[in-house]
Amino acid sequence: MIMIRKFQYITAFWIVVATITLSQIACEKDITVDLAQPEIKLVVEGYINPGGPAYVFISRTNAFFAPVDSISLLNSTEKNALVIVSDGIISDTLVAPVPGIGYFYISPNMLGEVGKTYTLRIHTQDGKTATSVTSIPVPVALDSIWFKPRSEGDTLGYTWAKITDPPASGNNFRWFAKRLGKDDDYIAPSGSAFNDKFFNGLTFEFAYNRGSVPNSTAEDDNNEEEGAFKIGDTIVVKFASITKDSYDFWRAAETQSSSNGNPFGSPATLKSNIKGGIGIWEGFSYTLDTTVAQ
Amino acid sequence: MSNFLFKAGLFTILIWMILSGNSFGQSKPKYTISGYVKDAKTGEYLIGANVFLKELLKGTSTNQYGFYSLTVEEGDYTLVFTFLGFKEFSQPVKLNKDYRINAELTDAAITTAEVEITGERKDENVESTQMGKMDMDVEKIKTLPAFMGEVDILKSIQLLPGVQSAGEGNAGYYVRGGGPDQNLILLDEAVVYNASHLFGFFSVFNADAVKNVSLIKGGMPAQYGGRLASVLDISMKEGNSKEYHVQGGLGFIASRFTVEGPIKKDTASFIISARRTFIDLFLREPFVDDESDAAGNSYYFYDLNTKINYRISDRDRLFVSAYFGRDVFQFKSPDTGFKVKVPWGNATASARWNHLFNDKLFLNTTLVFSDYNFSFTGQQEQFEFKLFSGIRDWNGKVDFNYFPNILHNVRFGINYTHHTFTPSNVSAQQGQTKFDLGEIVKLYSHEGAAYVNDEWDITERLAINAGLRFTYFNQVGPFTRYVQNENLVITDTIVYSKHESVQNYFHLEPRLSGKFTLTKTSSVKASITQNYQYIHLASLSSASLPTDVWVPSSTNVKPQIGWQYALGYFKNFKENVWETSIEVYYKEMKNQVEYREGAQPDDDIKNNQDNNFVFGKGWSYGAEFFVKKAKGRLNGWVGYTLSWTERKFPDLNNGKTFPAKYDRRHDVSIVLTYELNKKWTFGATWIYATGNALTLPQSRMFLNGPLDLAQYFADPSAPGQIYYEYGERNSFRQEAYHRLDISATLTVKKKKRWESSWNFSIFNVYNRYNPYFIYFDDYIDESTGQFTLQAKQVSLFPIIPSVTYNFKY
Repeated sequence: MIMIRKFQYITAFWIVVATITLSQIACEKDITVDLAQPEIKLVVEGYINPGGPAYVFISRTNAFFAPVDSISLLNSTEKNALVIVSDGIISDTLVAPVPGIGYFYISPNMLGEVGKTYTLRIHTQDGKTATSVTSIPVPVALDSIWFKPRSEGDTLGYTWAKITDPPASGNNFRWFAKRLGKDDDYIAPSGSAFNDKFFNGLTFEFAYNRGSVPNSTAEDDNNEEEGAFKIGDTIVVKFASITKDSYDFWRAAETQSSSNGNPFGSPATLKSNIKGGIGIWEGFSYTLDTTVAQ
Repeated sequence: MSNFLFKAGLFTILIWMILSGNSFGQSKPKYTISGYVKDAKTGEYLIGANVFLKELLKGTSTNQYGFYSLTVEEGDYTLVFTFLGFKEFSQPVKLNKDYRINAELTDAAITTAEVEITGERKDENVESTQMGKMDMDVEKIKTLPAFMGEVDILKSIQLLPGVQSAGEGNAGYYVRGGGPDQNLILLDEAVVYNASHLFGFFSVFNADAVKNVSLIKGGMPAQYGGRLASVLDISMKEGNSKEYHVQGGLGFIASRFTVEGPIKKDTASFIISARRTFIDLFLREPFVDDESDAAGNSYYFYDLNTKINYRISDRDRLFVSAYFGRDVFQFKSPDTGFKVKVPWGNATASARWNHLFNDKLFLNTTLVFSDYNFSFTGQQEQFEFKLFSGIRDWNGKVDFNYFPNILHNVRFGINYTHHTFTPSNVSAQQGQTKFDLGEIVKLYSHEGAAYVNDEWDITERLAINAGLRFTYFNQVGPFTRYVQNENLVITDTIVYSKHESVQNYFHLEPRLSGKFTLTKTSSVKASITQNYQYIHLASLSSASLPTDVWVPSSTNVKPQIGWQYALGYFKNFKENVWETSIEVYYKEMKNQVEYREGAQPDDDIKNNQDNNFVFGKGWSYGAEFFVKKAKGRLNGWVGYTLSWTERKFPDLNNGKTFPAKYDRRHDVSIVLTYELNKKWTFGATWIYATGNALTLPQSRMFLNGPLDLAQYFADPSAPGQIYYEYGERNSFRQEAYHRLDISATLTVKKKKRWESSWNFSIFNVYNRYNPYFIYFDDYIDESTGQFTLQAKQVSLFPIIPSVTYNFKY
């Protein structure tokens, strides 16, 4: 692991300690647990960028051990929902490109603008409602990015960046990166969300490892190249300015993912900004930077 | 206010009772017999030895320093001294003036029929007014099965009813449903904040240096305070004042060595006791190559106990003791070059002066320094991160023991502590850039108490232990209060200057327990006590870790309040061979502290720790059943506790009542020792506990799915990242925990003074995989290509045999 969130170190430390101690003497076995029938809730994941439409993904939670297959996925996506995004003056009703599946709604007319506030309203076919509000923060560009090998002569390494944090406090950021020709989309590595609480107004350098698509079966996510960029990769970094709600949500979400299996962690509940559901409605702006690893 | 007046009224009545005790039966003149009771062989002062006048069948017991005092009308008496494990000693006394009578008791001949389990008076459990107090004989603990061959005091008290283990790999223990921070642990009057090593597997107490262990779980008398649930009072040995002795042992995990002896025979003595692990020696050259992946990792711990005592005169004694212990863990990741170093430990030092003003008034003055700290340093290339947390106490107390007459044993005194807390001090730098993590935060506070307590034999059958404790707590600056609004955003700061008062609290705590003798072998006891606790342990996780931080009461955090009501029936059979009891208790706790849901470690930085706490109430009630066979070749006990512990916090679990993590419906301990002959002793313990309460997820969802919908539904093996929604707090129960341990001790006496023994232990004899924790693994099932969730249970310890070699010279 590489230093990204300094304080994830504490969790990381205990995972490391737990792993060493437990791997020496611990035993693991599969068990069945009886969990109570849960209340099914709406899951909303939506975002809006400057110059782009609003994207909203709506689905439902499932009982914990319910099977994950095409049928159950199809059953949990929200179809025929009324989804409206408003910037305070204009409202736009979002459209699902594949009505039979639903799930993915996009605004046909409205495009995001930095500084504006966007309200989301969802009405489902069976009468559930969910609402949320977000805005698009001003983008902050990185000073520069570059690739650096892990050690002298190594072909594998990490992507580094230099940033000068704006003087006002309260900046929240998120890091995404993709390799041209190798990744379909931008990927956020673990610890991708951070804020300027500890370096407000300062200039400093930091690095991220290479994140992977969840449950990736790709070869380079499962061999010695896991987590690293390679010489020859063309790396594009999408550096986003996000809202506080978004920072709180992704940080809690990443804590939950990384502390699974850690006996010293406590159940991390997600911090949603959706009233009437779980998830995140976030406006964010971003800048792109490209570097070739050499 | 009326509460305060009520308590002040009680206080006045108490003083009147004590003073009037003096004037009852003022016909004949009264004289005092007083003195010290020692072990004839080692010169150690005996704590709790019984001293009584045969003709009156009334007496007292020696205090913490072996002192007793009896004031009765003049006459002819037989003064009798008894202490279990020792021969009774009696002396006729013609009481026509004050006498100083010291006694040295000799070991009872260890015949196979006379081996006792605990060092208490024969009918102590029936006669004593002290409810809920249990004394443990350290020598006896050493014959019980030991985990990894290490005798452990904290593990042994968990075999008593009402005391529950916090689980494998967990340092704390719970007493009657209270949290691990609600137990006061004292080592020679110094408070110990973190009593464990090695991730909670071993305590910091080296049994070779310990003389007496007392656990009070109910009816806490007024001389103790500051914690709601219990007191574990550990006294170190003074050191043999007659001859030099060494003892020690070699075991798998740790080895010990103790040397003790007189500095000036019968006047001054010392004891030095050390213990260390040796695993780390196996983690370097020549066993592990410096270049290999495993190099750079090490773990070790050590303890050092030292004590000197000097009997200045007939009336004055001086004791100086110190404890120093450290754990150091080092880790280096071979792939990433990430280095971690974690040292933690306690250091305590105490100086005590006993002074006898006269034969009825005994004084002990103590000065203590106590320090606990933990630090974590992480380093990766140019980035360095350091976390430091600790508590430092300076404490002074004055305790009087006044024996006005044979009916009263009065204690009173005052106590003052200055606390410096460093809940977490963090610094980080990347190359030349030093991150702004706020200033080093230290929290300062004063804690004080004044108490009076009387053990009063009112009638032949009725005796009470009544007391009142006045406590005071004041947090002072320098301190910065970050004011946060209901959205948890910091809106303002208030700065307090040095010594400026931030918040103060003062309270009166009444303590009352009583015993009513029904027959010669049975009694009923009851107690009502109130306690306030001003310092709190905030734990981010369900395991107790060195990263748990102690914080003081402040503007946000109010003192914890506890009321405990207990009732018990005690009966002995067959001339005190069998002791039985049933105790029921009910506890109410207010201002309990927990972290807010979703709190992260760095929420505390540039913020007050307590801005991340939420507060609530707790209840705990239960019944404890206890049967003990105190004499004979086969002896031991069975304890069963049936209990409930609940919590209710407006900000947790949607305000609904939930079981506390210490809620353990059934808890059984069976402890047996069998002395076959002079060489062989066998021991066995079996424990059973209802499983831990856990919060498990109840539903799942996916986020961050692929944008290509066609792909999304065509290949449901990767629908995005799975996230959980959790169910009701602590609503799930793990499987029960149960385990059998056995031991065999072979004593070999070679020459006159050299004695050695081998202890063979097997931990978890039937190799049960007790649940340690549960987690969920998500993966793509290779055979079906389907995304699968599987619950997994991790267990820590399988069957573990161990051998320890012990020696004594």
